[in-house]
Amino acid sequence: MDTRLLELRDVTKIWSIGRTGEQVPALSSIDLDVARGEFLILLGPSGCGKSTLLQIIAGLEAPSGGRLRFLRGDGGRKLTSMVFQEYALFPWRTVLENVVFGPEVRKVPRATRDVEAQRLVELVKLRGFEHRYPHELSGGMRQRVALARALANDPEILLFDEPLAALDAQTRRVLQDELARIWAETGKTFIYVTHSLQEAVLLGGRIVVMTARPGRVKEIIDVRLPRPRSLTGRQEAEILERLDELLRDEVKRTMESER
Amino acid sequence: MTRSTLRKVGSALFILVVWQVLVQTGNLNELFLPAPLSVLGAIWTMTLSGKLPWAILVSLNRVVQGFVYGALVGIVLGLLAGAIRWVEDVLDPWVAAVYPIPKSALFPLFMLWFGLGDPSKIVTITVGVLFLVLVNTVTGVKSINPLLLKAAVDLGASRFQVFLKVILPGALPNIFTGLRLGAGMALILVFITEIEATKAGLGFLLWESFQLLETKDVFAGVVMFGVLGVASTWFLQWLERVSCPWARR
Repeated sequence: MDTRLLELRDVTKIWSIGRTGEQVPALSSIDLDVARGEFLILLGPSGCGKSTLLQIIAGLEAPSGGRLRFLRGDGGRKLTSMVFQEYALFPWRTVLENVVFGPEVRKVPRATRDVEAQRLVELVKLRGFEHRYPHELSGGMRQRVALARALANDPEILLFDEPLAALDAQTRRVLQDELARIWAETGKTFIYVTHSLQEAVLLGGRIVVMTARPGRVKEIIDVRLPRPRSLTGRQEAEILERLDELLRDEVKRTMESER
Repeated sequence: MTRSTLRKVGSALFILVVWQVLVQTGNLNELFLPAPLSVLGAIWTMTLSGKLPWAILVSLNRVVQGFVYGALVGIVLGLLAGAIRWVEDVLDPWVAAVYPIPKSALFPLFMLWFGLGDPSKIVTITVGVLFLVLVNTVTGVKSINPLLLKAAVDLGASRFQVFLKVILPGALPNIFTGLRLGAGMALILVFITEIEATKAGLGFLLWESFQLLETKDVFAGVVMFGVLGVASTWFLQWLERVSCPWARR
Protein backbone atom coordinates (compact mmCIF):
# COMPACT_ATOMS: atom_id res chain seq x y z
CA MET A 1 0.00 0.00 0.00
CA ASP A 2 1.22 3.44 -0.86
CA THR A 3 1.48 5.38 2.35
CA ARG A 4 2.87 8.49 0.72
CA LEU A 5 0.92 11.61 1.45
CA LEU A 6 3.03 14.36 -0.05
CA GLU A 7 5.57 14.33 -2.81
CA LEU A 8 8.07 17.10 -3.55
CA ARG A 9 10.03 16.95 -6.76
CA ASP A 10 12.87 19.28 -7.64
CA VAL A 11 11.36 22.12 -5.59
CA THR A 12 13.40 25.31 -5.73
CA LYS A 13 12.94 28.79 -4.36
CA ILE A 14 14.74 31.92 -5.44
CA TRP A 15 14.22 35.20 -3.62
CA SER A 16 14.44 38.51 -5.46
CA ILE A 17 15.93 40.98 -3.04
CA GLY A 18 14.60 44.53 -2.84
CA ARG A 19 15.05 47.06 -5.62
CA THR A 20 18.26 45.60 -6.99
CA GLY A 21 16.37 42.43 -7.91
CA GLU A 22 19.35 40.37 -6.85
CA GLN A 23 18.54 36.67 -7.12
CA VAL A 24 19.25 34.70 -3.97
CA PRO A 25 18.67 30.95 -4.13
CA ALA A 26 17.03 29.73 -0.91
CA LEU A 27 16.15 26.14 -1.81
CA SER A 28 17.70 24.06 -4.49
CA SER A 29 16.19 20.94 -5.96
CA ILE A 30 14.37 19.42 -2.99
CA ASP A 31 13.13 15.87 -3.50
CA LEU A 32 11.15 14.50 -0.62
CA ASP A 33 8.38 12.00 0.08
CA VAL A 34 6.31 12.38 3.21
CA ALA A 35 4.45 9.33 4.48
CA ARG A 36 1.06 9.45 6.13
CA GLY A 37 1.31 9.66 9.91
CA GLU A 38 5.04 10.17 10.18
CA PHE A 39 6.90 12.65 12.37
CA LEU A 40 9.28 14.27 9.93
CA ILE A 41 11.94 16.66 11.15
CA LEU A 42 13.50 19.32 8.92
CA LEU A 43 16.85 20.06 10.50
CA GLY A 44 19.39 22.55 9.27
CA PRO A 45 21.53 25.57 10.08
CA SER A 46 19.70 28.87 10.32
CA GLY A 47 19.07 30.44 6.95
CA CYS A 48 19.07 27.10 5.14
CA GLY A 49 15.55 27.63 3.86
CA LYS A 50 13.79 25.07 6.04
CA SER A 51 11.14 27.58 7.06
CA THR A 52 10.73 28.58 3.43
CA LEU A 53 10.16 24.95 2.55
CA LEU A 54 7.48 24.76 5.23
CA GLN A 55 5.76 27.88 3.85
CA ILE A 56 5.77 26.33 0.38
CA ILE A 57 4.16 23.15 1.72
CA ALA A 58 1.61 25.34 3.53
CA GLY A 59 0.83 27.11 0.27
CA LEU A 60 1.80 30.46 1.78
CA GLU A 61 4.72 30.80 -0.66
CA ALA A 62 4.89 29.64 -4.25
CA PRO A 63 7.91 27.59 -5.30
CA SER A 64 10.06 29.09 -8.05
CA GLY A 65 10.39 25.70 -9.69
CA GLY A 66 9.55 22.05 -9.27
CA ARG A 67 6.32 20.58 -8.09
CA LEU A 68 4.51 19.59 -5.00
CA ARG A 69 1.72 17.06 -4.96
CA PHE A 70 -0.66 15.91 -2.27
CA LEU A 71 -1.49 12.30 -2.95
CA ARG A 72 -4.77 12.49 -1.19
CA GLY A 73 -7.31 14.83 -2.71
CA ASP A 74 -10.02 15.93 -0.35
CA GLY A 75 -12.29 18.00 -2.50
CA GLY A 76 -9.97 20.98 -2.62
CA ARG A 77 -9.84 21.25 1.15
CA LYS A 78 -6.60 22.60 2.55
CA LEU A 79 -4.62 19.70 3.96
CA THR A 80 -2.12 21.59 6.09
CA SER A 81 -2.19 23.80 9.18
CA MET A 82 0.73 25.75 10.53
CA VAL A 83 2.01 26.33 14.06
CA PHE A 84 4.30 29.37 14.17
CA GLN A 85 7.22 30.04 16.46
CA GLU A 86 5.71 33.29 17.73
CA TYR A 87 2.31 31.60 18.27
CA ALA A 88 0.50 34.13 16.04
CA LEU A 89 -2.61 34.03 18.23
CA PHE A 90 -5.26 36.68 17.70
CA PRO A 91 -4.90 38.91 20.79
CA TRP A 92 -8.56 39.99 20.64
CA ARG A 93 -9.84 36.42 20.77
CA THR A 94 -10.06 34.22 23.84
CA VAL A 95 -8.51 30.76 23.84
CA LEU A 96 -11.72 29.19 22.63
CA GLU A 97 -12.31 31.89 20.01
CA ASN A 98 -8.79 31.37 18.68
CA VAL A 99 -9.31 27.63 18.43
CA VAL A 100 -12.55 27.97 16.46
CA PHE A 101 -11.10 30.49 13.97
CA GLY A 102 -10.52 27.92 11.22
CA PRO A 103 -13.92 26.21 11.43
CA GLU A 104 -15.54 29.65 11.76
CA VAL A 105 -14.11 31.00 8.50
CA ARG A 106 -14.93 27.69 6.81
CA LYS A 107 -18.54 28.17 7.98
CA VAL A 108 -18.78 25.03 10.09
CA PRO A 109 -22.04 25.23 12.10
CA ARG A 110 -21.52 26.84 15.48
CA ALA A 111 -22.67 23.87 17.58
CA THR A 112 -20.32 21.47 15.78
CA ARG A 113 -17.31 23.72 15.98
CA ASP A 114 -17.82 24.56 19.66
CA VAL A 115 -17.99 20.90 20.65
CA GLU A 116 -14.87 20.18 18.62
CA ALA A 117 -13.05 23.18 20.10
CA GLN A 118 -13.84 21.99 23.63
CA ARG A 119 -12.41 18.57 22.79
CA LEU A 120 -9.20 20.15 21.45
CA VAL A 121 -8.85 22.45 24.45
CA GLU A 122 -8.94 19.32 26.55
CA LEU A 123 -6.45 17.53 24.28
CA VAL A 124 -3.90 20.29 24.80
CA LYS A 125 -4.76 20.46 28.52
CA LEU A 126 -6.08 24.00 28.64
CA ARG A 127 -9.35 23.27 30.37
CA GLY A 128 -10.31 26.15 32.64
CA PHE A 129 -8.51 28.67 30.42
CA GLU A 130 -11.06 28.76 27.58
CA HIS A 131 -12.08 32.34 28.21
CA ARG A 132 -8.65 33.82 28.85
CA TYR A 133 -7.00 36.16 26.37
CA PRO A 134 -3.56 35.24 24.96
CA HIS A 135 -1.79 37.99 26.91
CA GLU A 136 -2.99 36.34 30.11
CA LEU A 137 -1.23 33.07 29.25
CA SER A 138 2.38 31.91 29.50
CA GLY A 139 4.39 31.18 26.37
CA GLY A 140 3.93 27.44 26.76
CA MET A 141 0.17 27.80 27.10
CA ARG A 142 0.00 30.07 24.08
CA GLN A 143 1.73 27.45 21.99
CA ARG A 144 -0.81 24.88 23.20
CA VAL A 145 -3.57 27.18 21.97
CA ALA A 146 -1.82 27.54 18.61
CA LEU A 147 -1.62 23.76 18.35
CA ALA A 148 -5.31 23.31 19.16
CA ARG A 149 -6.18 26.02 16.63
CA ALA A 150 -4.17 24.25 13.93
CA LEU A 151 -5.83 20.92 14.77
CA ALA A 152 -9.31 22.45 14.63
CA ASN A 153 -9.30 22.43 10.82
CA ASP A 154 -8.65 18.67 10.98
CA PRO A 155 -5.69 18.88 8.57
CA GLU A 156 -3.83 15.86 7.24
CA ILE A 157 -0.51 17.52 7.92
CA LEU A 158 0.55 19.79 10.76
CA LEU A 159 3.44 22.10 9.98
CA PHE A 160 5.59 23.35 12.84
CA ASP A 161 7.99 26.26 12.37
CA GLU A 162 10.38 26.04 15.35
CA PRO A 163 7.38 26.10 17.67
CA LEU A 164 9.33 25.78 20.92
CA ALA A 165 12.29 28.02 20.12
CA ALA A 166 10.94 30.98 22.08
CA LEU A 167 10.29 29.00 25.28
CA ASP A 168 12.47 28.38 28.31
CA ALA A 169 14.24 25.02 28.58
CA GLN A 170 11.84 23.47 31.14
CA THR A 171 8.69 24.42 29.29
CA ARG A 172 10.25 23.25 26.04
CA ARG A 173 10.98 19.84 27.52
CA VAL A 174 7.39 19.44 28.75
CA LEU A 175 5.94 20.52 25.42
CA GLN A 176 8.20 18.16 23.50
CA ASP A 177 6.62 15.27 25.40
CA GLU A 178 3.19 16.77 24.82
CA LEU A 179 3.80 17.02 21.09
CA ALA A 180 4.90 13.38 20.96
CA ARG A 181 1.77 12.39 22.86
CA ILE A 182 -0.55 14.44 20.65
CA TRP A 183 1.14 13.13 17.52
CA ALA A 184 0.52 9.56 18.72
CA GLU A 185 -3.06 10.30 19.83
CA THR A 186 -4.17 12.07 16.66
CA GLY A 187 -2.27 9.97 14.13
CA LYS A 188 -1.61 13.14 12.10
CA THR A 189 1.42 13.73 9.93
CA PHE A 190 3.83 16.19 11.55
CA ILE A 191 6.43 18.14 9.60
CA TYR A 192 8.57 19.90 12.12
CA VAL A 193 11.26 22.50 11.49
CA THR A 194 13.95 22.91 14.12
CA HIS A 195 17.61 23.75 14.46
CA SER A 196 17.91 21.80 17.70
CA LEU A 197 19.63 18.42 17.35
CA GLN A 198 18.21 17.30 20.68
CA GLU A 199 14.68 18.11 19.63
CA ALA A 200 15.19 16.24 16.38
CA VAL A 201 16.36 13.11 18.20
CA LEU A 202 13.65 13.29 20.85
CA LEU A 203 10.79 13.73 18.42
CA GLY A 204 11.72 12.63 14.93
CA GLY A 205 10.66 9.53 13.09
CA ARG A 206 12.80 10.62 10.18
CA ILE A 207 15.24 13.49 10.26
CA VAL A 208 15.89 15.38 7.04
CA VAL A 209 19.25 17.10 7.40
CA MET A 210 19.55 20.11 5.12
CA THR A 211 22.62 21.84 3.78
CA ALA A 212 23.51 25.48 4.25
CA ARG A 213 21.94 27.95 1.82
CA PRO A 214 20.80 27.17 -0.75
CA GLY A 215 19.12 24.36 1.16
CA ARG A 216 19.27 20.88 -0.25
CA VAL A 217 18.54 17.52 1.35
CA LYS A 218 21.89 16.38 2.66
CA GLU A 219 20.85 13.19 4.33
CA ILE A 220 17.78 11.51 5.74
CA ILE A 221 18.17 9.62 8.99
CA ASP A 222 15.67 7.04 10.17
CA VAL A 223 15.21 7.08 13.91
CA ARG A 224 13.86 3.67 14.81
CA LEU A 225 13.83 4.14 18.55
CA PRO A 226 10.93 3.60 20.93
CA ARG A 227 9.28 6.56 22.64
CA PRO A 228 9.54 8.23 25.05
CA ARG A 229 13.17 8.85 24.29
CA SER A 230 15.90 10.17 26.49
CA LEU A 231 18.89 12.20 25.42
CA THR A 232 21.12 10.12 27.68
CA GLY A 233 20.23 6.84 25.98
CA ARG A 234 23.11 5.17 24.10
CA GLN A 235 21.38 4.92 20.73
CA GLU A 236 20.03 8.44 21.01
CA ALA A 237 23.56 9.66 21.73
CA GLU A 238 24.84 7.92 18.62
CA ILE A 239 22.29 9.65 16.43
CA LEU A 240 23.03 12.96 18.11
CA GLU A 241 26.68 12.56 17.30
CA ARG A 242 25.94 11.67 13.70
CA LEU A 243 23.70 14.73 13.34
CA ASP A 244 26.29 16.91 14.97
CA GLU A 245 28.90 15.79 12.43
CA LEU A 246 26.54 16.38 9.51
CA LEU A 247 25.55 19.82 10.69
CA ARG A 248 28.92 21.11 11.80
CA ASP A 249 30.18 21.36 8.23
CA GLU A 250 27.04 23.17 7.19
CA VAL A 251 27.19 25.68 10.03
CA LYS A 252 30.82 26.32 9.14
CA ARG A 253 29.84 26.91 5.53
CA THR A 254 27.09 29.30 6.59
CA MET A 255 29.51 31.29 8.72
CA GLU A 256 32.05 31.45 5.92
CA SER A 257 29.48 32.63 3.38
CA GLU A 258 28.34 35.34 5.79
CA ARG A 259 31.83 36.62 6.37
CA MET B 1 -11.67 58.94 50.89
CA THR B 2 -7.99 58.52 50.10
CA ARG B 3 -5.45 61.25 50.72
CA SER B 4 -5.12 61.78 46.98
CA THR B 5 -8.86 62.33 46.46
CA LEU B 6 -8.95 64.59 49.48
CA ARG B 7 -6.21 66.78 48.01
CA LYS B 8 -8.01 66.96 44.66
CA VAL B 9 -11.38 67.92 46.15
CA GLY B 10 -9.64 70.34 48.49
CA SER B 11 -7.85 72.05 45.63
CA ALA B 12 -11.06 72.52 43.64
CA LEU B 13 -13.08 73.79 46.63
CA PHE B 14 -10.32 76.12 47.83
CA ILE B 15 -10.04 77.99 44.53
CA LEU B 16 -13.83 78.23 44.13
CA VAL B 17 -14.33 79.56 47.67
CA VAL B 18 -11.50 82.13 47.38
CA TRP B 19 -12.92 83.20 44.04
CA GLN B 20 -16.44 83.58 45.49
CA VAL B 21 -15.12 85.55 48.48
CA LEU B 22 -13.00 87.86 46.31
CA VAL B 23 -16.04 88.77 44.22
CA GLN B 24 -18.30 89.29 47.22
CA THR B 25 -15.78 91.54 48.97
CA GLY B 26 -15.61 93.64 45.82
CA ASN B 27 -12.05 92.72 44.94
CA LEU B 28 -13.05 91.17 41.58
CA ASN B 29 -15.29 92.81 39.01
CA GLU B 30 -18.14 90.49 38.00
CA LEU B 31 -17.95 91.90 34.50
CA PHE B 32 -14.65 90.08 34.06
CA LEU B 33 -14.90 87.22 36.51
CA PRO B 34 -18.42 86.44 37.79
CA ALA B 35 -18.58 84.48 41.03
CA PRO B 36 -19.04 80.70 40.84
CA LEU B 37 -22.48 80.99 42.42
CA SER B 38 -23.53 83.60 39.83
CA VAL B 39 -22.48 81.23 37.06
CA LEU B 40 -24.43 78.43 38.72
CA GLY B 41 -27.40 80.78 38.96
CA ALA B 42 -27.08 81.66 35.27
CA ILE B 43 -27.04 77.98 34.36
CA TRP B 44 -30.12 77.42 36.52
CA THR B 45 -32.06 80.35 35.02
CA MET B 46 -31.19 79.43 31.44
CA THR B 47 -32.09 75.81 32.12
CA LEU B 48 -35.52 76.79 33.46
CA SER B 49 -36.16 79.12 30.54
CA GLY B 50 -35.21 76.29 28.15
CA LYS B 51 -32.53 78.44 26.52
CA LEU B 52 -29.62 76.27 27.61
CA PRO B 53 -31.14 72.83 26.90
CA TRP B 54 -32.17 74.02 23.46
CA ALA B 55 -28.69 75.39 22.73
CA ILE B 56 -27.12 72.11 23.82
CA LEU B 57 -29.55 70.09 21.74
CA VAL B 58 -28.86 72.13 18.61
CA SER B 59 -25.09 71.85 19.09
CA LEU B 60 -25.25 68.15 19.93
CA ASN B 61 -27.18 67.49 16.76
CA ARG B 62 -24.39 69.12 14.73
CA VAL B 63 -21.60 67.47 16.71
CA VAL B 64 -23.06 63.98 16.68
CA GLN B 65 -23.94 64.05 12.99
CA GLY B 66 -20.54 65.40 12.00
CA PHE B 67 -18.76 62.99 14.32
CA VAL B 68 -20.62 59.90 13.12
CA TYR B 69 -20.18 60.73 9.42
CA GLY B 70 -16.52 61.59 9.88
CA ALA B 71 -15.84 58.51 12.00
CA LEU B 72 -17.57 56.13 9.58
CA VAL B 73 -15.85 57.49 6.47
CA GLY B 74 -12.53 57.74 8.31
CA ILE B 75 -12.66 54.16 9.56
CA VAL B 76 -13.68 52.65 6.22
CA LEU B 77 -11.14 54.66 4.19
CA GLY B 78 -8.47 54.05 6.83
CA LEU B 79 -8.98 50.29 6.83
CA LEU B 80 -8.91 50.18 3.03
CA ALA B 81 -5.87 52.44 2.77
CA GLY B 82 -4.03 50.47 5.42
CA ALA B 83 -4.78 47.12 3.81
CA ILE B 84 -4.68 47.89 0.09
CA ARG B 85 -1.67 49.57 -1.42
CA TRP B 86 -3.35 51.31 -4.34
CA VAL B 87 -6.04 52.85 -2.13
CA GLU B 88 -3.29 54.27 0.05
CA ASP B 89 -1.51 55.69 -2.99
CA VAL B 90 -4.69 57.32 -4.27
CA LEU B 91 -5.56 58.87 -0.89
CA ASP B 92 -2.05 59.84 0.15
CA PRO B 93 -1.67 63.19 -1.64
CA TRP B 94 -5.11 64.36 -0.46
CA VAL B 95 -4.45 63.40 3.13
CA ALA B 96 -1.03 65.03 3.00
CA ALA B 97 -2.56 68.22 1.57
CA VAL B 98 -5.68 68.55 3.74
CA TYR B 99 -4.50 67.05 7.05
CA PRO B 100 -2.32 70.02 8.09
CA ILE B 101 -4.98 72.64 7.25
CA PRO B 102 -6.93 73.82 10.30
CA LYS B 103 -10.39 72.58 9.39
CA SER B 104 -11.94 75.82 10.69
CA ALA B 105 -10.22 77.53 7.75
CA LEU B 106 -12.39 75.47 5.43
CA PHE B 107 -15.63 76.67 7.07
CA PRO B 108 -16.02 79.77 4.86
CA LEU B 109 -15.69 77.60 1.77
CA PHE B 110 -18.24 75.14 3.10
CA MET B 111 -20.65 78.01 3.79
CA LEU B 112 -20.16 79.10 0.20
CA TRP B 113 -20.88 75.60 -1.08
CA PHE B 114 -23.48 74.29 1.39
CA GLY B 115 -25.19 77.47 2.56
CA LEU B 116 -25.32 79.14 5.96
CA GLY B 117 -27.41 76.50 7.72
CA ASP B 118 -26.56 73.28 9.49
CA PRO B 119 -25.00 71.40 6.53
CA SER B 120 -21.89 73.61 6.27
CA LYS B 121 -21.30 73.27 10.03
CA ILE B 122 -21.79 69.51 9.97
CA VAL B 123 -19.49 69.13 6.97
CA THR B 124 -16.76 71.13 8.73
CA ILE B 125 -17.00 68.83 11.76
CA THR B 126 -17.13 65.76 9.52
CA VAL B 127 -13.94 66.75 7.75
CA GLY B 128 -12.18 67.55 11.02
CA VAL B 129 -13.10 64.18 12.53
CA LEU B 130 -12.53 62.24 9.32
CA PHE B 131 -8.85 63.01 8.92
CA LEU B 132 -7.97 62.29 12.54
CA VAL B 133 -9.80 58.95 12.44
CA LEU B 134 -8.40 58.12 9.01
CA VAL B 135 -4.78 58.73 9.93
CA ASN B 136 -5.04 56.78 13.18
CA THR B 137 -6.87 53.89 11.52
CA VAL B 138 -4.12 53.57 8.91
CA THR B 139 -1.55 53.51 11.72
CA GLY B 140 -3.61 50.80 13.43
CA VAL B 141 -3.74 48.59 10.35
CA LYS B 142 -0.01 48.99 9.76
CA SER B 143 0.73 48.03 13.35
CA ILE B 144 -0.89 44.61 12.94
CA ASN B 145 1.64 41.79 13.14
CA PRO B 146 1.88 40.41 9.56
CA LEU B 147 2.14 36.92 11.04
CA LEU B 148 -1.51 37.20 12.10
CA LEU B 149 -2.55 37.77 8.49
CA LYS B 150 -0.50 34.76 7.48
CA ALA B 151 -2.06 32.62 10.21
CA ALA B 152 -5.56 33.68 9.17
CA VAL B 153 -4.90 32.80 5.54
CA ASP B 154 -3.34 29.50 6.60
CA LEU B 155 -6.49 28.68 8.55
CA GLY B 156 -8.59 29.26 5.44
CA ALA B 157 -9.78 32.86 5.74
CA SER B 158 -10.79 34.62 2.52
CA ARG B 159 -9.59 38.14 1.79
CA PHE B 160 -12.84 39.58 3.07
CA GLN B 161 -12.67 37.46 6.22
CA VAL B 162 -9.10 38.59 6.86
CA PHE B 163 -10.34 42.16 6.55
CA LEU B 164 -13.28 41.63 8.91
CA LYS B 165 -11.74 39.26 11.45
CA VAL B 166 -8.12 40.37 11.60
CA ILE B 167 -7.59 43.85 10.19
CA LEU B 168 -10.64 45.48 11.78
CA PRO B 169 -10.16 44.15 15.34
CA GLY B 170 -6.39 44.59 15.03
CA ALA B 171 -6.79 48.28 14.21
CA LEU B 172 -9.53 48.92 16.79
CA PRO B 173 -7.35 50.29 19.62
CA ASN B 174 -5.86 52.88 17.24
CA ILE B 175 -9.29 53.65 15.81
CA PHE B 176 -10.37 54.58 19.33
CA THR B 177 -7.38 56.90 19.66
CA GLY B 178 -8.62 58.60 16.50
CA LEU B 179 -12.17 58.79 17.83
CA ARG B 180 -11.04 60.41 21.08
CA LEU B 181 -9.02 63.03 19.21
CA GLY B 182 -11.93 63.45 16.80
CA ALA B 183 -14.40 64.11 19.62
CA GLY B 184 -12.20 66.92 20.94
CA MET B 185 -11.90 68.33 17.44
CA ALA B 186 -15.68 68.16 16.93
CA LEU B 187 -16.30 70.33 20.00
CA ILE B 188 -13.73 72.91 18.88
CA LEU B 189 -15.27 73.08 15.44
CA VAL B 190 -18.88 73.29 16.60
CA PHE B 191 -17.97 76.34 18.67
CA ILE B 192 -16.12 78.03 15.81
CA THR B 193 -18.86 77.34 13.27
CA GLU B 194 -21.55 78.65 15.64
CA ILE B 195 -19.95 82.06 16.01
CA GLU B 196 -21.22 83.06 12.56
CA ALA B 197 -24.38 82.56 10.59
CA THR B 198 -26.59 80.93 13.19
CA LYS B 199 -29.17 81.84 15.78
CA ALA B 200 -28.88 78.70 17.88
CA GLY B 201 -26.40 76.45 19.59
CA LEU B 202 -24.08 76.55 22.56
CA GLY B 203 -21.40 78.42 20.63
CA PHE B 204 -23.94 81.02 19.53
CA LEU B 205 -25.22 81.41 23.11
CA LEU B 206 -21.68 81.91 24.36
CA TRP B 207 -20.74 84.39 21.66
CA GLU B 208 -23.96 86.38 21.91
CA SER B 209 -23.56 86.62 25.69
CA PHE B 210 -20.04 87.93 25.15
CA GLN B 211 -21.29 90.62 22.80
CA LEU B 212 -23.92 91.62 25.36
CA LEU B 213 -21.23 91.53 28.07
CA GLU B 214 -23.27 88.98 30.03
CA THR B 215 -20.10 87.43 31.38
CA LYS B 216 -21.82 84.96 33.68
CA ASP B 217 -23.71 83.53 30.70
CA VAL B 218 -20.39 83.26 28.83
CA PHE B 219 -19.06 81.24 31.76
CA ALA B 220 -22.18 79.10 31.75
CA GLY B 221 -21.48 78.26 28.10
CA VAL B 222 -17.85 77.48 28.84
CA VAL B 223 -18.85 75.16 31.68
CA MET B 224 -21.35 73.40 29.43
CA PHE B 225 -18.68 72.85 26.76
CA GLY B 226 -16.55 71.32 29.51
CA VAL B 227 -19.40 69.03 30.52
CA LEU B 228 -19.85 67.92 26.91
CA GLY B 229 -16.12 67.23 26.63
CA VAL B 230 -16.09 65.09 29.76
CA ALA B 231 -19.26 63.28 28.72
CA SER B 232 -17.88 62.43 25.28
CA THR B 233 -14.64 61.16 26.81
CA TRP B 234 -16.53 58.94 29.24
CA PHE B 235 -18.78 57.63 26.51
CA LEU B 236 -15.83 56.72 24.26
CA GLN B 237 -13.96 55.11 27.15
CA TRP B 238 -16.99 52.99 27.90
CA LEU B 239 -17.38 52.05 24.24
CA GLU B 240 -13.70 51.08 24.05
CA ARG B 241 -13.95 48.90 27.16
CA VAL B 242 -16.96 47.12 25.71
CA SER B 243 -15.53 46.60 22.24
CA CYS B 244 -11.86 45.94 23.11
CA PRO B 245 -12.09 43.81 26.26
CA TRP B 246 -8.71 42.21 25.49
CA ALA B 247 -6.93 45.56 25.69
CA ARG B 248 -8.14 46.25 29.23
CA ARG B 249 -5.28 47.34 31.42
